[in-house]
Amino acid sequence: MEDLAENVIRRGLDLGADYVEARIQSDVENTYTLKNGIPDTFQLSKAVGIGVRILVNGALGFASTDKLTKVDVEDLVKLAYNMARSASRLVKNPVKLSTDKTVQTSWEVKAASSPEDISPEEKFDLLLEVEHMLDPQKVGVDLPSRYMTLSHDRQEKFYVNSEGTRIHGRVPRISLWYFLTASKPGKGTLQRWTHVGESRGWEAVQEWDPPKLVSDEAKTLGKILEEGSAPPKGETDLILGSEVVGIICHESCGHPQEADRILGREAAQAGESYLKPEMIGTRIGSDHVTIVDDPTLPRSFGYYLYDDEGVSTGERVLIEKGVIRSFLHNRETAAEIGVKSNGAARAVAYSREPIIRMANTYMKPGNYTREELFDELKSGVYIKTFMEWNIDDRRYNQRYVGLEAYLIQNGEVTRPIRNPVLEVTTHSLYSSVDAVSKTVDFQAATCGKGDPQQGAPVWTGGPEIRLRRLRLGGL
Amino acid sequence: MNSNEIAALIVSQGEKAGASDVCAIVVEENKRMLRFSNNSITVLQAWNTITPTIYMSMGPRRTGCTIEDPTPEAITSAMETLTKTIRLMKPGDVDSRLPQGPFTYSTIQNNYDPRVPSSTDELTDAVAASINSALDAGAKRVSGVLAATEWNRMLRTSTGNEGREKGTLLELTVRAFVEDDSSGQGVSCSTTFQDFNPEIAGREAGTIAKMAIAPKEGKEGVYRAVLGPSIMANLLNTTALSASAYAVEIGMSYFPDKLGQRVASDTFTLIDDQQFPGGPGSHAFDDEGFPTKPTTIIQDGQLRTLLHSSYTAKKFDADLTGHGYYGGDSGIVPVPSNLMVEPGNYSKEELFEEVRNGIYVTNNWYTRFQNYQTGDFSTICRDGIFTISNGELAGPVKGLRMSDNMLRILQSIMAISKDRLWVKWWEVDIPILLSHFYVDNVRITRSTK
Repeated sequence: MEDLAENVIRRGLDLGADYVEARIQSDVENTYTLKNGIPDTFQLSKAVGIGVRILVNGALGFASTDKLTKVDVEDLVKLAYNMARSASRLVKNPVKLSTDKTVQTSWEVKAASSPEDISPEEKFDLLLEVEHMLDPQKVGVDLPSRYMTLSHDRQEKFYVNSEGTRIHGRVPRISLWYFLTASKPGKGTLQRWTHVGESRGWEAVQEWDPPKLVSDEAKTLGKILEEGSAPPKGETDLILGSEVVGIICHESCGHPQEADRILGREAAQAGESYLKPEMIGTRIGSDHVTIVDDPTLPRSFGYYLYDDEGVSTGERVLIEKGVIRSFLHNRETAAEIGVKSNGAARAVAYSREPIIRMANTYMKPGNYTREELFDELKSGVYIKTFMEWNIDDRRYNQRYVGLEAYLIQNGEVTRPIRNPVLEVTTHSLYSSVDAVSKTVDFQAATCGKGDPQQGAPVWTGGPEIRLRRLRLGGL
Repeated sequence: MNSNEIAALIVSQGEKAGASDVCAIVVEENKRMLRFSNNSITVLQAWNTITPTIYMSMGPRRTGCTIEDPTPEAITSAMETLTKTIRLMKPGDVDSRLPQGPFTYSTIQNNYDPRVPSSTDELTDAVAASINSALDAGAKRVSGVLAATEWNRMLRTSTGNEGREKGTLLELTVRAFVEDDSSGQGVSCSTTFQDFNPEIAGREAGTIAKMAIAPKEGKEGVYRAVLGPSIMANLLNTTALSASAYAVEIGMSYFPDKLGQRVASDTFTLIDDQQFPGGPGSHAFDDEGFPTKPTTIIQDGQLRTLLHSSYTAKKFDADLTGHGYYGGDSGIVPVPSNLMVEPGNYSKEELFEEVRNGIYVTNNWYTRFQNYQTGDFSTICRDGIFTISNGELAGPVKGLRMSDNMLRILQSIMAISKDRLWVKWWEVDIPILLSHFYVDNVRITRSTK
């Protein structure tokens, strides 16, 4: 199979391309679904093919196929070359690629316990064990809808380019996704979905303890339904839980600092950014705010060591002590802005072009214990988790609606409140942070971007943070 | 192997393995995409794939697979995995069977153009035409995506169904900017070049962007609103998906226990017509081999039917509707495919006059639900947003979000315009033919700080 990729490089250069790369990628995913206590389906997804990118006269062509014969792949190279050459007449901003070291290497994440070695029966049994724990008598609330999926996938890539880089990469991922609807007579319904995932094997599932994880969530939903009251409106101090901080870092730091958005390449769909290339060094938040994206976090859902342009990666500091420090780059945006790529180009399948993606975006911890964070508040609101959220396509106006949330009185978490709405600008949000806890936690997510859509595995995360004098909104 | 051989292999292996039912859908796709930004093409993409999809059941146990690796070895390996797993599964709740054929399938008219996916030159010309018309309308920079797809779909089931159909699709999204916060969007979606209008889409985007120059900060409140085809297409996708019986089962529908009830104003009728000539989502048969037919989901405001696959039809004791399509991790589930809203009698300008004072929202993105069952949601108002004053468009505004409830939106539809447009783009998965809507009491919020 690797010969096919090497041949792509030779054929592309023979045709006259300025740059050629090929990526043979295999993704095999197994998904087990339990719906309302009933084994619903097992689904297998297998995608094996080759993606080819060619640069001709400043025009970039990408073509892919799952027909892995020498003839089909040679036709693919010609197609990518001819498309790029033909369209170069409408290329007013010729694509250039930053200069990066060539590497010949391989990297791999090894599962301690391969999910493929665990029987399908055992996987469904685990989901049924979760279901058993969701008995209304045990969790104190009716759950008319329960939907759970357990997935594991194995991704393998062989990347080669015309500059001499050759990289093998392998990573297993495993995840649990569940969606609960809780109901109490006279109290309405609440819904909650959660996603846990890591780049590991079955050992991760055993550590998650899914029956306890999900049944604890159900109990919390019951408590909110039973005791939750309307949230206060107007100006208040807030403490946000790790889950909320994670989505904030992802949406209003990670996304606006993707350089392809900043340069307008995603304008028609995923949108642009409130930031401009010259805004490195701009203050956007308080000294307490440091946010990074790090693909190399052990166990993380978004783990990788080399991106899909063959560039090595590491921690990228996006905001440091409230100041914009760097953007996420691929080789194209790095060349345009005049920096080095920091290895953010990812493709979720052989059939997708590599584009700039976050991996694991989180806020760095501070110096506060959890007790200190709360102790200093006479009154306020604690939003631990969320359900509804969105942000505008310049990543400036955002909304998070709390799911598990409480009033704070005299430093103590007191009664639950329902659906507090935080609707705030990026600048106001980060500028309001005055304390950050010492402990960081992470959640798995699937980040959407690109056309065709590329759902990329990521972690979002952070410590608990305190924000001063923000106004809870909503009509 | 060609599609026929792949489908035959799957069905044969499934039958040998002892499956109650087995179904193979093989889609061959030849697709081109041009992406452009800042008036320049940024990347060209091409796909040439054969993707078999498998459904297999053994009594009340169901499983399935997609394989982007159309070799006999890969298919055999996948069938072995499915067989091994399904035998170890505990039974599900319903022993549903695929529809028994053979059926006679219609031929969808006007859904194939031999010029698609077309040469790069022709597609580049279309992109250039859309960019130039946006610039002529006043835009300074233009971005977008043009995709051209030729597809062939082959189906074979163990229940005697066999079908083949082909189609083409052209999809263009153009987004024009004058300033960073003055933008507009235009779309064109068609199965043939004859009905494909890149210039009109570009002009629409450029015109809205120019009208949206120097927007003021919008105000929170409850508004009479004219909602354009793009935003309504996004919202009504959630309505049609809520009519899926599977969505009702898993709690992701705002229509639980609402069948037969009034869920919208009586001016609103929503149809999924998969037989519609030239429909971007028209199909002669679903992924279970059942013949499609026009399905009225909501008629004059009343929820007339849920959408069904063979599994949900059996479970809900309902008739098949021809909506069983492969939905990834969920396997075959009921989903709509080719939506349309019955037009009203108004022009867009007459809707502005009806509203008198309110707001006009042209587009949206990032719709998220707080609770799918209650229908509480919010979505970002995107591109041109304008106040309506004394029945006419007044100044542009920005920074607004619709934070409302879908059932309330549906019940507050006051009037619909008559000129319809196919909408399908990044935020609208299921193509829908629709127009402008006048909706009363729309709740608009904004950042508080």
